[in-house]
Amino acid sequence: MELLTAVAVGALFGVAIFQLLRRNVVRSAIGLILLGNAVNLFLLSTGAYDGRAAAYAGELAQRSDALPQALVLTAIVISMGGLALAMAMLYIVSARYRTSDLDEITGLRY
Amino acid sequence: MTDWGLVLIPAMCLVGLTGSVLLAVPPLNLRLPVRRAGWLLSLFPAGSSVLILSRLPSLSAVSPQSFKLDWIPSLGLTAGLYFDHLSALFGLLITGIGTLVVIYAGYYFDQSASSRSTISPWREWRFLAFLFLFMAAMVTVVMAGDVLTLFISWELTSVASFLLIGYRQQDQAARQGAFKSLLITGAGGVALLLGLLVLSSVTGSGEFAHILTAGDLVRSSPLYLLALALVALGAFTKSAQFPFHIWLPDAMGAPTPASAYLHSATMVKAGIFLLARLNPVLGFTDEWFWLLTAVGGITMLTGASAGFRQNDLKALLAYSTISQLGVLIMLIGQDTEIAFKALVISILAHALYKSALFMLVGIVDHATGTRDLRRLGGLVRTMPIAFLATGVAAMSMAGLPPLFGFLAKETLLATATHPNVPPLANVVLPATTVIAGALILAQAGVVVWDSFLGRPRDQSLHPHRPPAFMCLVATVPAVLSLTIGLLPEPEPIASFLANAAAAVYGSKVKVSLALWNGITVPLLLSAVAVCSGMVLFVLRHPLRERLSRTDPRWSANTLYRWSVGLIDGSAFVATRLQGGKLRTYMATVILGMLALVFGFGDLAQWHWETPLTLPTLDTTGEIVVLRIFALLVVVTGAAATIGLPRDFWAVVALGSSGMAVAILMVLEPAPDVALVQLVADILTVVILVLALARLPRSQRQRANDLMFLQSRASLVRDSLIAVAAGAVVALVTLVGLTSRPRTSAVTPYYEDTAKVLAGTKDIVGAILVDYRALDTLIEIAVFGLAGLGVYTLLRHASVKAGDHNESDATDRQSIAGAQDVFGIAGAETSSFVHALAYVSLPLAMVIGLVHIMYGHDQPGDGFTAGVIISLAIGFWYVVFGFRQVRRQLTWLRSAPLIATGLLLAIASGTAAACHTGSFLGHVDWGEVIGISLPRGFALSTSFLFEVAICLTVLGSASYILDTLGRPGATEHESAGK
Repeated sequence: MELLTAVAVGALFGVAIFQLLRRNVVRSAIGLILLGNAVNLFLLSTGAYDGRAAAYAGELAQRSDALPQALVLTAIVISMGGLALAMAMLYIVSARYRTSDLDEITGLRY
Repeated sequence: MTDWGLVLIPAMCLVGLTGSVLLAVPPLNLRLPVRRAGWLLSLFPAGSSVLILSRLPSLSAVSPQSFKLDWIPSLGLTAGLYFDHLSALFGLLITGIGTLVVIYAGYYFDQSASSRSTISPWREWRFLAFLFLFMAAMVTVVMAGDVLTLFISWELTSVASFLLIGYRQQDQAARQGAFKSLLITGAGGVALLLGLLVLSSVTGSGEFAHILTAGDLVRSSPLYLLALALVALGAFTKSAQFPFHIWLPDAMGAPTPASAYLHSATMVKAGIFLLARLNPVLGFTDEWFWLLTAVGGITMLTGASAGFRQNDLKALLAYSTISQLGVLIMLIGQDTEIAFKALVISILAHALYKSALFMLVGIVDHATGTRDLRRLGGLVRTMPIAFLATGVAAMSMAGLPPLFGFLAKETLLATATHPNVPPLANVVLPATTVIAGALILAQAGVVVWDSFLGRPRDQSLHPHRPPAFMCLVATVPAVLSLTIGLLPEPEPIASFLANAAAAVYGSKVKVSLALWNGITVPLLLSAVAVCSGMVLFVLRHPLRERLSRTDPRWSANTLYRWSVGLIDGSAFVATRLQGGKLRTYMATVILGMLALVFGFGDLAQWHWETPLTLPTLDTTGEIVVLRIFALLVVVTGAAATIGLPRDFWAVVALGSSGMAVAILMVLEPAPDVALVQLVADILTVVILVLALARLPRSQRQRANDLMFLQSRASLVRDSLIAVAAGAVVALVTLVGLTSRPRTSAVTPYYEDTAKVLAGTKDIVGAILVDYRALDTLIEIAVFGLAGLGVYTLLRHASVKAGDHNESDATDRQSIAGAQDVFGIAGAETSSFVHALAYVSLPLAMVIGLVHIMYGHDQPGDGFTAGVIISLAIGFWYVVFGFRQVRRQLTWLRSAPLIATGLLLAIASGTAAACHTGSFLGHVDWGEVIGISLPRGFALSTSFLFEVAICLTVLGSASYILDTLGRPGATEHESAGK
């Protein structure tokens, strides 16, 4: 099972990177979100325990590790804010250059 | 011993900084002319001086006074002050001359202001502010108690010097000079930082109180040479030693008060101070002797000879300063008792006469409008006081009896003939000293004679009489050097200087200020120097003529130009590498990340032999099936975003992949995270759809077509990068998953104490709103800023760029008008959907409230609540369109929501701090006040914080929805299609 999960997370990450490298700004934004998801899943995998129950005080079974969960929770919200900011920037840039093709946007130089 | 009183000394200068900024306020700077402002502000450095003086009687020669503040105790970082006689000597020079310079600056700028309209406000407060900034930094340098304080204040003096040199921004020479000085002293600062780090790692402490006692340890360390080289580099650049001296003459573009203060009396002595301070640690070795003697000697000769050919009075004085600095460096290198005696006397003497001379040159410059020796002459008639003062100061510079400067040279020559130095040096040292002494003496003669005596060379100059007080201020240091020289053995001064020298030397030094020691070798050498100096002075015209014809290429400036050229060249290469293509950057970053994981990831440590189990349908079969299903959806959804040709469908596929991620989180099991992931995923899709509607479809279509038209090579390249990245992440995830269960250092603590300390059963929630509450506070602030950023970018940046002509006026008009447009991009929506939307918003609010109230014992928290309510609002935007939402939801005001949220968080955190002593600590206010609340609900800090989180998230999300949902020019374009 671990193998499958790991391969899936890796695949998700790979797809995210591939999308991030597209010339279409919308696809790059999609890549950004996929990347966030992949990283969050990876972070959860760094939890120390094989959880059988949620991380609540008073649970008798083996609880899952609460620490990476807290990290991931904030990461989700932050990446949503980051996405909104990125979309706004992509919009500005593509409106200014009248294109959604990243390769035609060359003003980043200097 | 922590002595808070020490902080007052630099603090006084900072008050002066505040004062000079305050004086910039219009009514004040009209009422108070700059000349009076100078007098007023000079009280602060004078106060600082008095503070230092008042400490002297109680200052013991063996145990310095100190102040220490723990900054980051876990890293051993402290901020501290260390005050001994050496600090006191430098401190008195800085604050004492600072007092005079501030008064002088008032007159200096008053004169330039008088040429302007008399009632216009003066703008020189900027200069005074920089001056005080420098003063505070410099006082801190000489009182620094640890390497960190020293480095930071050291760099601050460089910055202040940069600002002062470049004060006349419109003058290109001043700008270049400022840049040059910053480049050289800044590079030296970096070397110094490294050197200090080496020193503190060898001695095991960053505090001088400890370092200064660890001299033997440092000298026997293999890192000694490295530390010496780096520290010396820092000191040499700052104190303008060859070949770094070139910045000092160019720094003369600064207004004269700054030259008199920074570039003769104080800042350039920082390097001297540093080497003197560290002499007990780094000194007393052969390397120390040869390095300092050689560099100092070359500098002494270079400065003296280059100064002799200058026609600009300020440049001449600058070169003589360089020469004198070389002398001081040489003295430190000798490590003999008499050398340190000479050192402290020379520091005092040089600071006094050189600042006087600079101030007098400023007066001459102002009165005549030139500093060129070829045009000046005969000024004695218009400014007799200035002539007398210049004469006294120049005699001190020349080293003629009976002045202080004479004492300095006398002891210097005594050092040069001291038996302790190696035989070769015993010949070379006196020789160079005599040559340099003769040259400096001739220059001193040139300064007095060619500007004040003789006939005016340029008849077109009409010097006016300078203000008496201005001359008086400049006369004070000159007269000081005269009186100290004339008084026989002034006891308090002698013992003070002896203690300062002892701080450098490490043991008791006897300082004698007696003028007459009988006929000795130094006296004879002195006589030789004086005679040859006279000869040089008489022959000055042909000699200077000849010297000024030397090829300018043969100077260290060429070296500087090469270095700057090298930087420019690397900038050229770098800009070629930085092609400006975002995709190239991203690919580089990703490849770099992969390299880091492979290089430092310790992948070899993993137990590769761990058997990998393939999924089997055992007792927990249902879970496994669900997990496999979720994994499949995650991957296929993600893959579909590549394949689907239309952006909208790609976004939908993205959403489904995100949902499946939420399922995986449920299976972790991590219900809180899964919940947030679920709602955030939906909101993300909404944001993307709204953003898509803003981008013109034709443009997006064109970009999408590229996907399939792109060259095969780039597709293959991107795929390879993606596969490599995916493989690495799969590997590390596998390592993480198969090494379970591990021991965790932190989690058990949270699990055991969550209920007791945070009052919540939900451990994740406890971490967020209690243990790491400050992080969460910063995080919601970031999220709020993201919303503000979106708003600013789309509403202001785009308007400014003229991308579309939205303005608030037309905006309000369009909201009030256009009744019939419903739905996003003008599409019609059915009334059934409308009814759903009307129900969903209040429902979402109730759900959100429940989440906030009871989230501490079950899944859900402020984030979830905020995002759920935002989702309902997003639904409204999609269903009703922008205008309708703005008309109906008038209470939805983003900025106040964000502000309320953040303020509530800070207020509740502060209240908790008052109650428990810990910011955002756990307090159950219901219990404190004594009101009964429904079971399971507590009016605690966590609850208030959750409310704050919810409000901030809601405010920011509504900002995002509002700006992205706003109809723009582009939408009309696409709506027509």
